[in-house]
Amino acid sequence: MPKFEVPRFTFWRGVLLVILALGTYSTVVRVFQGLAGSTNLSDSFPWGIWIGFDILCGVALAAGGFTISATVYIFNLEKFRPIVRPAILTAFLGYVLVIVALLYDLGRPWNVWHPLVMWNPHSVMFEVGWCVTLYTTVLALEFSPIVLERFKMTKTLHVMHFIMPLLVVLGVLLSTLHQSSLGSFYLIVPTKLHALWYSPLIPLYFFLTALTLGCAMTIVESFLSHRAFGKQLEMELLVPLGRVALLILALTSVIRFADFRHRGILGLPFQATYESRLWLAEMLIGVLAPGVLLAIPKVRKHTTGLFLAALLIVMGVVMNRLNVSITGMERSSGQIYVPAFTEIAVTLSVVGVGFLIFALAVKFLPVFPEHEMKEARPIVVPAGGNVSGQPIRSLPVPALVVVALAFFGAVALGADGVRRREVDPGPPAPSATKPELAAALASFTPPAEIVFPQAPDSPGPASFRHASHVDASAPDCLSCHGNTYSFLGRKEAPPAGQMHDTKHCGGCHDGTSAFAIEADCSPCHKAE
Amino acid sequence: MLKPQTKGLLLDTTRCIGCGACALACKERNKLPKTSDDVLKDELSDKTYSVVKQVGPRYVRRMCMHCVTPSCASACPVAALEKSAAGPVIYHESKCMGCRYCMIACPFGIPKYEWEKKAPLVRKCDLCADRLEKGLKTGCATACPTGATSFGDRDALIAEAKERFRANPGRYNEHIYGIEEVGGTSVLIISDGKAEELGYPAGLDGTAPAFLTWRVLNIIPDIVMTSAVLLGGIYWIRNRRDEVEAAEGSHHETPKEH
Repeated sequence: MPKFEVPRFTFWRGVLLVILALGTYSTVVRVFQGLAGSTNLSDSFPWGIWIGFDILCGVALAAGGFTISATVYIFNLEKFRPIVRPAILTAFLGYVLVIVALLYDLGRPWNVWHPLVMWNPHSVMFEVGWCVTLYTTVLALEFSPIVLERFKMTKTLHVMHFIMPLLVVLGVLLSTLHQSSLGSFYLIVPTKLHALWYSPLIPLYFFLTALTLGCAMTIVESFLSHRAFGKQLEMELLVPLGRVALLILALTSVIRFADFRHRGILGLPFQATYESRLWLAEMLIGVLAPGVLLAIPKVRKHTTGLFLAALLIVMGVVMNRLNVSITGMERSSGQIYVPAFTEIAVTLSVVGVGFLIFALAVKFLPVFPEHEMKEARPIVVPAGGNVSGQPIRSLPVPALVVVALAFFGAVALGADGVRRREVDPGPPAPSATKPELAAALASFTPPAEIVFPQAPDSPGPASFRHASHVDASAPDCLSCHGNTYSFLGRKEAPPAGQMHDTKHCGGCHDGTSAFAIEADCSPCHKAE
Repeated sequence: MLKPQTKGLLLDTTRCIGCGACALACKERNKLPKTSDDVLKDELSDKTYSVVKQVGPRYVRRMCMHCVTPSCASACPVAALEKSAAGPVIYHESKCMGCRYCMIACPFGIPKYEWEKKAPLVRKCDLCADRLEKGLKTGCATACPTGATSFGDRDALIAEAKERFRANPGRYNEHIYGIEEVGGTSVLIISDGKAEELGYPAGLDGTAPAFLTWRVLNIIPDIVMTSAVLLGGIYWIRNRRDEVEAAEGSHHETPKEH
């Protein structure tokens, strides 16, 4: 680690410490006060940022794992091998942290294993549960050579190398499946998710954006590793990744245009609503700006330029996931959701722990294997040399303008959108007047007569007749029912001899509300 | 396919006098605490499975619709929610892990959660499943004094609704809400108003939302098998090319990117 980086590092360590402290506090709140005390979730808004960010973004941000491992092992593009390990490590960390975050969100986290034994093949969540479990296992196995190497366990290492292609195919399949399935979650809510994000193609969008993100994350990560650990910046690998990302961005945009055209909502993004503004901001940050940057060869080959473009893609996908899970769901829920402080603290902690473990792994495990670097390649930026990459001011002017416009444009759109935030008015308000009941009262039938069992010393059989107790023109069931008297009939007859007490007839027949019981038996007891 | 003996409810807003008997009978049967001084101001929650409210010029009930193909049961990863043969959508508490996907999935926003509890559960009406087993009506239908809530076989209730349309020309907006909506519900509604005037989601598709996800999940095995062969094939071809090159002793550059 270069010496001059220590102060910067200390600052970040301080930030991390503060975040983890707040996260620990929030964890205590979550455990002892439940979801009510630790979140702003409600019956009308049951999923917040713990799902929208920690799960949806967490899984997507780990997409570098399957993107890069497929590139190396399946497409046999050997030159990408040096970045396989950091990508796998990130993915593995990502998934472990997603599972940890899920435990915060689940109401009964101790039942998290249930989907493995209680099956529902019709459930997307069931499929995702299985895929995440299997893929985390596969990632652990894919990551194992790094640990085995560290501890010189060559025999096992050979076995691992032999089955690696199989693992990679399995991993690619599993991650492809559930990257798209996270989108499929929302297929079931056509009436709830806003039309800008709801689409029959949402699983495909989630998959394609995950692919783009896989490339972008690899670029961002290489850049950060280069900054933090003085690792070599493999520009000749990263530039093609940028090109692939551009290609998928373009493909996704064409599909999205066709989809909007097909559904007849091409004009929807340009309405003055909260959703439209945030959709435009998402497209500006995540598609248009990085698309333009990557399309300029000079920017693509510029370390800082490439990094900026990748960073924009990452931000765009994060915005997309939050828009799907929060922005797009608010109007129909009739509820504006703002995460609680504790929700944000836990989310930041999960990210912070990810950074921490990554840094530790790099320190103690051969994550950046030197011996896998084959013959010398042209090195754009030598390790430990100019670790900050090319300065941003050396970017072409149009690129700088695009970045600035995208940033300020998105902020302006977002701010305007939030100003317009509104929710469904809900059901029509009751009119001031009571409904006209004449027609309804025509079908009023007082319930049947209840004949009471006769006690041995009773002067004669007695019964309760609704007809003589209820005003049929304005029946008021709750004046007797709902507290003292059952609606659904007793399990057994009232005990003989207790009928006169206040729990039964005596409740009203006390001489004030109705005639007193003691005065005369004949009104109730019919002599035999 | 729906079994003919499937039980359900017919709600007729033109017969409702807003007495609240259904809501309080529900509380009694489910042993739920009192949550409001005015029964008509109550809201659905983990402590209230059924409400009756004034919506515009009429009283309207709100409760679980017991869909024929329930979105909640389809969404639940552990099959904690189940459409029973008798009609009710029932909840197996011990299976639930608290992911709340059922709450997201329900088009009527019915399942509620025990947010305050340390071991929370989902809460909703279960159409008095235990009473149905004993041959009794639901609590709400038992308590209703006007026939605004009637209990019976779903087919018989549909016939009854049509009979009421026939016998009272001009009284109803002649649409039975719940025959087509979201693929059918076991709670049917007839009224003099349209669905949106009752605060119910209007324009719901005849396709059960559950089918939208199932259509995608259904093709997964095909996707898996096809992709596995495809990826395996690519792997084999790409690596075989290396072997051939090695055998021929030629040293091509790594092929161009795709």
